[in-house]
Amino acid sequence: MLSEKAVKEIEEITTRYPVKRSAVMPALFVVQKEYGYVTEEGMREVAKILGLRPILVFEVATFYTMYNKKPVGKYHIQVCRNISCSLLGAEHVVGIIERKLGIKVKETTSDKRFTLSEVECLGSCGTAPMMQINDKYYESLTEPMIDDILKSLK
Amino acid sequence: MATVKINGKEITIDDGTLILDAAKTAGFDIPTMCFHARLSKLASCRVCLVEIVGQKKLQPSCVTPVMHGMEVLTESPVVKSARSSMIELLLANHPLDCPVCDKGGECELQDITFKFGPRQSPFGDNKRRFNEEDYILSPVIVQNANRCIQCKRCVRICAETVGVGVLGSIERGAKTGETSFVREYLDCDHCGNCIEVCPVGSLMSRSYRYKSRPWDLKGVDTVCVYCGTGCQLTVQARKDEVVRVISKPEEGINNETLCARGRYGYSFINSIDRLLVPMVRMGNTLEPTTWEDAVRAVRNGLSEAINKGKKIGGIASSRLSNEELYLFQKLMRGVLKTNNIDSGSRWDTAAVKTYAEIMELSKGGLSIYDALNTDTLLILGFGISDENPVTDYIIRRISGNKKMNIIMASPRGMKLDNSAVLSIRHNPGTEGVIIGGILKLIYDKNINSLKNLGGKDYLKDLSKEKVSDITKTAWQDIEAASGYIMASNTITVAVGSDVLRVPSRIEFLRMLIEALRILGKDVKLFPLFDRSNQRGALEMGVHPDILPGYNFIDGDGLGADGIIDAASRGEVGALYLAGEDILSDFPDGVFAREALRQTKFLVVQDILPTETTEFADVILPGSSHAEKDGTFTNGERRIQLVRKAIEPLGGKADWETICLVAKALGIKNMEYSSPSEIWDELAGLAPMFAGVNHKKLEPDGIQWPCPDIDHPGTAIMYTEKFNRPNGKALFNFREHIASAEVPDDKYPLILSTGRRRQHYNNGSMTRRSNAIFNQWPEESLELNPFDARRFNIKDSEKVLASSRRGEMEVKVHVTDRVQPGITFLAFHNRDALTNLLTNDALDPVCKIPEYKSCAIKIEKLNGHK
Repeated sequence: MLSEKAVKEIEEITTRYPVKRSAVMPALFVVQKEYGYVTEEGMREVAKILGLRPILVFEVATFYTMYNKKPVGKYHIQVCRNISCSLLGAEHVVGIIERKLGIKVKETTSDKRFTLSEVECLGSCGTAPMMQINDKYYESLTEPMIDDILKSLK
Repeated sequence: MATVKINGKEITIDDGTLILDAAKTAGFDIPTMCFHARLSKLASCRVCLVEIVGQKKLQPSCVTPVMHGMEVLTESPVVKSARSSMIELLLANHPLDCPVCDKGGECELQDITFKFGPRQSPFGDNKRRFNEEDYILSPVIVQNANRCIQCKRCVRICAETVGVGVLGSIERGAKTGETSFVREYLDCDHCGNCIEVCPVGSLMSRSYRYKSRPWDLKGVDTVCVYCGTGCQLTVQARKDEVVRVISKPEEGINNETLCARGRYGYSFINSIDRLLVPMVRMGNTLEPTTWEDAVRAVRNGLSEAINKGKKIGGIASSRLSNEELYLFQKLMRGVLKTNNIDSGSRWDTAAVKTYAEIMELSKGGLSIYDALNTDTLLILGFGISDENPVTDYIIRRISGNKKMNIIMASPRGMKLDNSAVLSIRHNPGTEGVIIGGILKLIYDKNINSLKNLGGKDYLKDLSKEKVSDITKTAWQDIEAASGYIMASNTITVAVGSDVLRVPSRIEFLRMLIEALRILGKDVKLFPLFDRSNQRGALEMGVHPDILPGYNFIDGDGLGADGIIDAASRGEVGALYLAGEDILSDFPDGVFAREALRQTKFLVVQDILPTETTEFADVILPGSSHAEKDGTFTNGERRIQLVRKAIEPLGGKADWETICLVAKALGIKNMEYSSPSEIWDELAGLAPMFAGVNHKKLEPDGIQWPCPDIDHPGTAIMYTEKFNRPNGKALFNFREHIASAEVPDDKYPLILSTGRRRQHYNNGSMTRRSNAIFNQWPEESLELNPFDARRFNIKDSEKVLASSRRGEMEVKVHVTDRVQPGITFLAFHNRDALTNLLTNDALDPVCKIPEYKSCAIKIEKLNGHK
């Protein structure tokens, strides 16, 4: 069950749109925040609150890549590998993180702290290479920076 | 109008016509894949691309309208190559497992590839795979997702037409596939329309799985037997076994859609329970015998009743064909000299007259599409989504394409509520008062224009409080309904037979119709029938006071209730039931049993064993609709052909049996070579059928009146005014009378009854069709969550339900489809004989048994036994 706070938040979101259905995407992010990923139960609850058929929520959730359909670690590292970041060494960034955490892309560390993903453009080309960890951007990355960032995340 | 050139051929056609349709008119077929005429347009497969001279890019012809002066090429080298490439792309991920695919031989992708596709493909990549094994999506659907070509036809028909919207398109790009929420087991109508529209073998029917190849099937186009909508369908048999029912896109009012009953309710035809041999009672048992002996026994029984001066009665099912119903009434009236004849619809003379007058039945009516060409549609007294599912589909589909306010008034919620602007929930049996409330509001606002309204004095006492009190409906709903009606120019009133099964005064409806017409509105009337040939039964004279062709007489005959009543007093010497199971149909089952025991001689002509056949003295095997030719008349008075798919399993069609009985009674003029000959005889008796014959009924039937052989039939009739000299209706008005039995402290709940979408009448046919039986195997009592808490009862718990007449154990289904204080039970299951609880109090005016409403109580089982 979604917490009361999450339900309230979704209900608040619906007031921003002329039709409730429009709130499906932000509502799914609320679910993702609540459970760490978009759960089956969460999708059903969103459908119920928005008065939609569950399949419609499922369609949206599976269409967009930024909804996690599987559990992720406490810190979800998403490295941009689009053109600007790639030119400035996104592959290298991924390699460093893989080596330091001992996991491959799409994997989660055994202590469930980190999940590593490659993503498409995050709109921060001017500060490439970059990555996003949970809701925060880390830009103009270098190896020592990555080292510090990972150490700071307990 | 636009003049366009298609492949050099110039045609002039309406503006806005799609290139696809224009090309067809010009004689060029453009292949399509995702396109479906009655669904929203998607244009995703790009198979229908055409070249428009002057435009660089090819355009999809299924969404591009013609423009004046346009020059279109559908067969240019560019188009041909693009088309072939698109098919190649569809095949890139489509498995080539045609030899084991059920769709093989009738697959649109197969056909299109054969005709236009590339002969080879350079794609060497692995094909996308969703699953290694097919998975079961519902009691009727099995899915092979790998074969899906993402045309989304299933998704569209499910949401737009069927209205359940349980299928969707998940993932994106090359991984896209159509399926259910998290690929779970579907909770839907199980109508199989998604299977019908699937162009490939992705969605498949479980009951037809690995049964046959299409070219091994022998099919006939016929009419569905399950309700008054009258869908056209094709029954397909392999050797003498019916294995599948499909529907064709361009035939019938249903246009390819069918409901669960129509599509899957065919297994009863070849059921091992079928009555195949005539049987005659020897002491306490029924013994198999020959047709000759059985018919001789019938003759002896009927003759004895005549000789002793006892009454003879006949009740025929409204699922028999027009020809059989006509013969049955001829047998009763002409041979046995009695007007004691009725169909099992439980309508009495007065009821039929009221309904026929208000709905202007004897004058014809509208086709459903004309009826839906309206601003406001008011549906009253009918569980339309459950009783006429395909009419529900048609209404939803039409209302999705145009602005139409649907107002539903019913005691119980249903699927069509989702498409309605307003759903009025009211107590069972108070439909008349709801209309009274709406009328009162309209009258008060237009007193001057309506000063001549007949019966207006009856509105005086009808206060807002009184209406709310009787109907238990919020006054705002009634205000909203009258608002929608007054804001419309055209209003269609669709009324089902429920309004006549309860003691409700529907004269208000007649007043409302007249008032709206005085106010200059166009009022269309559309009757809704729950049985396949209910209208036909009336038209064929299977009614004590109606002769074939709606010739009303003031006869001395008894209706079904009168016959049962007389039987209980021992006055009936012989009773002939053709396809009727009165023991599960009659409102008071206990009483009906006693009546049959008192009947000296009982003939039952039926296809399956029922409660009633156990009481029979002679059983004559009947024939199902797949075993004979004939006609049915649907709710919009369209006469449609029923055709024989297999030979009668019992050896004789029902019409042959009736003729045999007549012959045994010494009658010479009842021998026919075919139902067509019977039709010609009856058409000669009724001017409205005079121009109709079997041959002329192909392919879509004819709407009577059709007075001569060159007449095409009539689609719209009498929409302007009542067919009376002064254009006004006659009134025969009475106060609202409460149900004979109202809830009290001892029996606090109202029990209302009706049908479920999965079953039909006593269920003898649908319960033998596994595909649908499994969808609703056990009857359960619907109870509002509020009452469930009040009586401390959980969902699926078994309880003891009892009325003043009987009791039964039944499972509870907690749902908000019913209102607090009201429970619902269908009457399809032999294990849950609802009529042991219901009331046979007859409406004091119409004499309709009170089947819709009685008082019951429920108790927890552990506390009781």
